[in-house]
Amino acid sequence: MRIFTCALMGLLASVTMAAAQNPVVLKSEADRVAVIEKVKPTVVAVFARGGQGGGTGVLINDAGYALTNFHVVQPTGPTMQCGLADGILYDGVLVGWDKVGDVALIKLLPKKEGDKFPYAPMGNSDLVKAGDWSIAMGNPFLLATDFTPTVTFGLVSGVDRYQPPAGIILEYTNCIQIDTSINPGNSGGPLFNMKGEIIGINGRGSFDKRGRINSGVGYAISINQIKNFMGHLHAGLDADHASLGALVRTEAEKAGIGRTKVTAILEDSDAYRRGLDQDDELMGFAGRLVTSDNHYKNIVGLFPRGWRVPLEYRRSDIRKEILVRLMGVQRKELPDPTAPKDDPKQPPKKGPGPQGPAAKFYEPKAGYANYYFNREEKKRLFADLKKHSDFSALAGDWKIEGNVNLLKLRAQTPFTTEIGEQKVGNSVITKAAVTIGAFTDRLEPLDKDNGLTDMRKPNGSGGLIAAIYVWRHLLTEGEKGFPSECNHGGSEPIYPPPPQGAAPQGGWMKRAVLANVLTTRLANYQCKWFFAQSDHKLLGFELRLQDANEDPCEVYFSDYRNVNGRQLPHEMAVYFRDVHYGTFSVTKYQMAPAPAKNAAN
Amino acid sequence: MIRYKTYYLPITLLAVAVCASASSAQAPVTETALTVNKKLVKLFGIGGFKGLPSYGSGILVSKQGHILTVNNHILINPGILVHLYDGRQYQAKVIAREPELDVALLKIDEEVDFLPHYNFDEQAARPIGENGDWILAMSNQFKIALRDEPMSVSKGIVAAVADLRGRRGVFDAPYAGDVYFLDIVVCNPGAAGGALVNLKGNLLGLIGRELKDSRLDTWINYAVPIQAQANVLIEGKPGTVTMAHFVKKGMEGTYKESDKIAKVDAGGYHGITLVVEATRSAPPYVEEVVPGSPADKAGLRPDDLILYVEGFSVPTIKVFRETLKLYAPDSEIRVQYQRGNKLENVKIKLTKHPKLQASN
Repeated sequence: MRIFTCALMGLLASVTMAAAQNPVVLKSEADRVAVIEKVKPTVVAVFARGGQGGGTGVLINDAGYALTNFHVVQPTGPTMQCGLADGILYDGVLVGWDKVGDVALIKLLPKKEGDKFPYAPMGNSDLVKAGDWSIAMGNPFLLATDFTPTVTFGLVSGVDRYQPPAGIILEYTNCIQIDTSINPGNSGGPLFNMKGEIIGINGRGSFDKRGRINSGVGYAISINQIKNFMGHLHAGLDADHASLGALVRTEAEKAGIGRTKVTAILEDSDAYRRGLDQDDELMGFAGRLVTSDNHYKNIVGLFPRGWRVPLEYRRSDIRKEILVRLMGVQRKELPDPTAPKDDPKQPPKKGPGPQGPAAKFYEPKAGYANYYFNREEKKRLFADLKKHSDFSALAGDWKIEGNVNLLKLRAQTPFTTEIGEQKVGNSVITKAAVTIGAFTDRLEPLDKDNGLTDMRKPNGSGGLIAAIYVWRHLLTEGEKGFPSECNHGGSEPIYPPPPQGAAPQGGWMKRAVLANVLTTRLANYQCKWFFAQSDHKLLGFELRLQDANEDPCEVYFSDYRNVNGRQLPHEMAVYFRDVHYGTFSVTKYQMAPAPAKNAAN
Repeated sequence: MIRYKTYYLPITLLAVAVCASASSAQAPVTETALTVNKKLVKLFGIGGFKGLPSYGSGILVSKQGHILTVNNHILINPGILVHLYDGRQYQAKVIAREPELDVALLKIDEEVDFLPHYNFDEQAARPIGENGDWILAMSNQFKIALRDEPMSVSKGIVAAVADLRGRRGVFDAPYAGDVYFLDIVVCNPGAAGGALVNLKGNLLGLIGRELKDSRLDTWINYAVPIQAQANVLIEGKPGTVTMAHFVKKGMEGTYKESDKIAKVDAGGYHGITLVVEATRSAPPYVEEVVPGSPADKAGLRPDDLILYVEGFSVPTIKVFRETLKLYAPDSEIRVQYQRGNKLENVKIKLTKHPKLQASN
């Protein structure tokens, strides 16, 4: 054995000597060291308060937001302590999480208001290939008492990997497989490419007979998947993953390539309403090819619940592309799935409550990881809306005039929309009407006796009168106009139609615009508002009639112009189901100030 | 013993080799991984019990769909499912086995052609790899990939080329020749039969099973070099078989599997059969002594309890076997044993193993 050791040392010495003489090796080593030095300050050692248990995280902006795993923050509870490589311990608070995807966003509190944190940029994980080099950093076995991260270096062993969930949470879809050593404690830490960009969050490994330590197979959640959830995480949501509402299986063909088919579909799924049915063959999903059920699961796993993505399928010889609203994975009232179900002796493993200085940034609410941050994001959304144009002084009668191109008429027809309040006896009644050509549809939007057909007026629009009424309500009343429900809904893509008369450019994926979402409820009307992330303009909204498992009325705004110092859209495209109801070109807005103080319901 | 002759290579030669491979190691190995992946298949067969996976990996060695893999349990049943790199699925059958090399050759049932593959003869004609060589290991470990999903790739270094003394539970590994020992974890469930290649994609070896080293009792990571050979008995006659010969004759359909040889401990022959090793701490009680064997000549009898070998305590069957491996044929060992209430001392002169026909 001694001979062995001596010989090995001799070998190592010669390797070092040889390497030292090679400029390529020296350069590569220097580059690697430089990258590690650069990103080291962004790696966070996450601890439960008191130091019992923890994991790793990585800072993604200078305000102190950091990504980690859900399974790291679940045991720490909503407040945690976070050590950086400079040896300083910060207080941290949970912001948002995605249980199915095993991702959580936390925020480190600066020691002084306004202090900036170092952070690492996010890369493009779609460009990562098997065989690329990667660097993992973290706190394996929680061994760094001075919070200096441990560095490991290795190969990307595979991309687009699927690792099934534990129950329904912690499902790793579209993940990056690495031979870079990760161990317990590395969870939540960053996987970097050789440019020092975050390409994934390390979270699990394949273990077998050798125990829960590195077996050469680790998995990182791809950063591109996390980017899709980033809006939700920042808004403090308990984000849910998407499902199609259909079972999809790849046929086990005896020879050749199996086809990926829908074997069952829920009738209340949007996919079914859009036309997908049993035995249809899936071809493409969200712009990617579907070649197996693992691929399919990988693609579905990229998206949050409620997102609309294009889906391509084949029935006999006909290929069709549809835009599908995705359903959720988790049930609404989800019991803690990690709690052992049949063992009453063992209380569910739950983290401690909020503690320490970060506790004031935590506000629990069902459906949210931390409602405090939803409130903050919502505030910002309304501030931007108001900055863009303030309508609060114009809560009186509105009249909008113009021409409409109705799909069914195929000709320009004049239209008028009127919304106003009338005094009837002692009470004030809100009235709204849309006149197209010679036909007028009227609606008292807040009348409790309204039936579904009333609220859907004009016929075929899916509820345009009500939509315009709620839109005016949002502009004039703001957040206080929706006392029963008004929340930030994270971010979602919308697919604005091409300008009137123009042909659509490219496929659905090219038209997608990521928007910030506000969700509101007023009486029977449930709305999702889409704000541009760039200039905060309202790009459009969807109006859904509550308790009606039906398709919404979709309104898309464009051609914003100045009207008396306020920006207003002069084109409104209205869609219902898969049909373009019509596009309204506005020529005139008349907006009166609110009359004498009235309690408008 | 670990063979250390390879450590004495001239330093200059090593330095050149390391320089060349180290610089190429800086570049991503994406291209190599893509090319090699096309020549590999995912296998699905019998398993799923006692920690034995029902899946494995294999290497295409002909364009008509001959697959080289490890001769393990997943091949027990006739129908084996094969997934090619492009997602095609086929059934395959075992057409040849060689237990002494621990390899099997499969053939896809359907008529296929033009499959990417390794020309095995050509690859096996290359020299065997050396310590310090960079390698890539590609396999379907943990059944991560299905259909057209690519195999896992990991990179590492040949840590040593030495003889394999592996065991699975109490069973010795079938192959006991030289193997590549690796510095990374590759021998995971389902990895056996995968490819060990150099950075250019040339085939170096067949990834091994999940085994523990019988000397150190630790998990080992190894691959059997494609130049491997084994001493066998074919129809009673001793001979040698190489992996290349096996592949060639196997594809021709003329390969004759070697006779089964009862696995015996390395080291000299003593002729003692111990009691069944019911537990890991079972003491070395003599069950039988082969008539005429060295132990018989020394006077050992059933029910004797062996206590010391050459002054070393042998409290368990396992330790006894490990200890005996250290003594080559023709060496004489002092054995102390207990018979009834008495301690006895004998000397046993070990001999070469008589070639035994298998009883199982």
